[in-house]
Amino acid sequence: MSQNKFSDAVKYTKEHDWVSTAAPFRIGISDFAQEQLGDLTYAELPAVGTTLRKGEEFGTLESTKAVSSLYAPVDCTVVAVNSAIENDPGLVNADPYDDGWLIEVTLSDPVQLEALLDVNAYEAFLAEEEH
Amino acid sequence: MAQEDKNEAELRTTALHGVHVASNGTMVDFGGWEMPLWYPSGAVKEHMAVLTGAGLFDTGHMSVIMAKGNGIRAFLNFAVTKDISALRVGRAGYGAILDASGFSLDDCIVYPLEEDRFALIVNAGMGEKVVAHMRALPGGEDFTWTELTARTAKIDIQGPESFAVLRRCVADPATVFASFPYFSFQGDFDFSLSAVFFNDGTPALLSRTGYTGELGFEIFVPADKAVTIWSMLLEAGKNVPVIPCGLAARDSLRTGSVLPLSHQDIGNWPFINHPWPFALPLDESGSFTKPFHGSSALDAARADHTLTFVGNDPRKVAHGEGNVVYQGEEIGTVLTCVADMSLGRLDGRVVGLNSPDKPEGWRPKGLVCGFIKVSKKLEPGTIVTLRDARREIPVVISTDVRPGRTARKALPKQ
Repeated sequence: MSQNKFSDAVKYTKEHDWVSTAAPFRIGISDFAQEQLGDLTYAELPAVGTTLRKGEEFGTLESTKAVSSLYAPVDCTVVAVNSAIENDPGLVNADPYDDGWLIEVTLSDPVQLEALLDVNAYEAFLAEEEH
Repeated sequence: MAQEDKNEAELRTTALHGVHVASNGTMVDFGGWEMPLWYPSGAVKEHMAVLTGAGLFDTGHMSVIMAKGNGIRAFLNFAVTKDISALRVGRAGYGAILDASGFSLDDCIVYPLEEDRFALIVNAGMGEKVVAHMRALPGGEDFTWTELTARTAKIDIQGPESFAVLRRCVADPATVFASFPYFSFQGDFDFSLSAVFFNDGTPALLSRTGYTGELGFEIFVPADKAVTIWSMLLEAGKNVPVIPCGLAARDSLRTGSVLPLSHQDIGNWPFINHPWPFALPLDESGSFTKPFHGSSALDAARADHTLTFVGNDPRKVAHGEGNVVYQGEEIGTVLTCVADMSLGRLDGRVVGLNSPDKPEGWRPKGLVCGFIKVSKKLEPGTIVTLRDARREIPVVISTDVRPGRTARKALPKQ
């Protein structure tokens, strides 16, 4: 099977989302997630100004296979949405940690980042999942 | 779409399984077979390849049945919905096999090989059931029924470049392709009798049929030659390039070409009032030209209506879970719901990559399409809402989906 890619500039959740560890704080899905979903065909993302609570559903990613919900990894407020995704949802597949970012946010409580998985913990989590 | 099955020991595999794994195919359980859902190219690129170049599909999981005996034509003409009374050797016909209630057991393609020898292609895992059904019909035991699935490989090559690629691989192409209209075939499922060969001497049956709506062929070869022929076709098509395509692309291509999936779009309900009248023996007045098993149970006035729809963006609802709402009332269910990513809407009308009137520089964003089964006969142009637990999407009842399909295109003069 193909190798998963990781970024050490982000922290991860067990739902396979990531949040940047430094400003600008962006949120996206991991390489593992995009691989599982397959080619993305559409993204439903929230409006700028939306406040989100950790665990709250904030949008969906549509792939040829399924529709996947997106859950906020931290308490935050949306300040930008990646408009490039609208024209080319495949960007999320091609570059999930950079050009494929989904939303940019301000963090309501930066301490929440500490509870998320760093790249080593996420890699270990994935390895466990495979068994 | 089939889910990944962790109990891999139980799954059957085709002769090409090793090739799919070596190509990093994402493997899934499809009807008890481990098949590629897509390859690293992805479902969208694979779908587009069939529209603009050519794609290769392993369809060896489908079932091949040989039926032999005097009177087999008349028997099958009663057992299958298609009127095959005049279907001559070299011409294939598509129909359904119904039970006494008029429900579809499976759909099939019928191949007259000789006057007393016909073949049927049915779906994966259906060989035994169809043979048992045939044997139980009056006179069924008069014929010899043999399933050839395990010894037969099937490879579909589909797309505008498919013919040029296939032509390079077949011996004596000027003769083989001198006349090869849509839904005709050459060769035999008994490969010792086939007069069609690949360049390396592999015998074959070539059928100008397919499940994509685009120009193409279904290729039957002995199972032990599957890998050789697959590689030969990829090599011959490497400048196109021809790419291997999985089941996800196969599903979006067939839906965009308004073709049903057996046990999803046709099944345990009367085989009537649907978008496939060519599968029924209808005359101009709408009456049947022949009696067939299950025909007396088909009541157009009372049966549900299976209709085609197209939406406005690629968002789907879960087929099998979604409901159809019309004027505030739930009137039916969603049978198939996928996105054809080669389509878009321009001023309300559906435009595709192969539309003759496609504007310069236009790029498709994809449109959801599929089939619904409802209690009301709705006219094309009617808007209904498809609803599942997550969302509601408006779609339009349509007579067609993907424009500019190439399946019936005339081959270049040989």
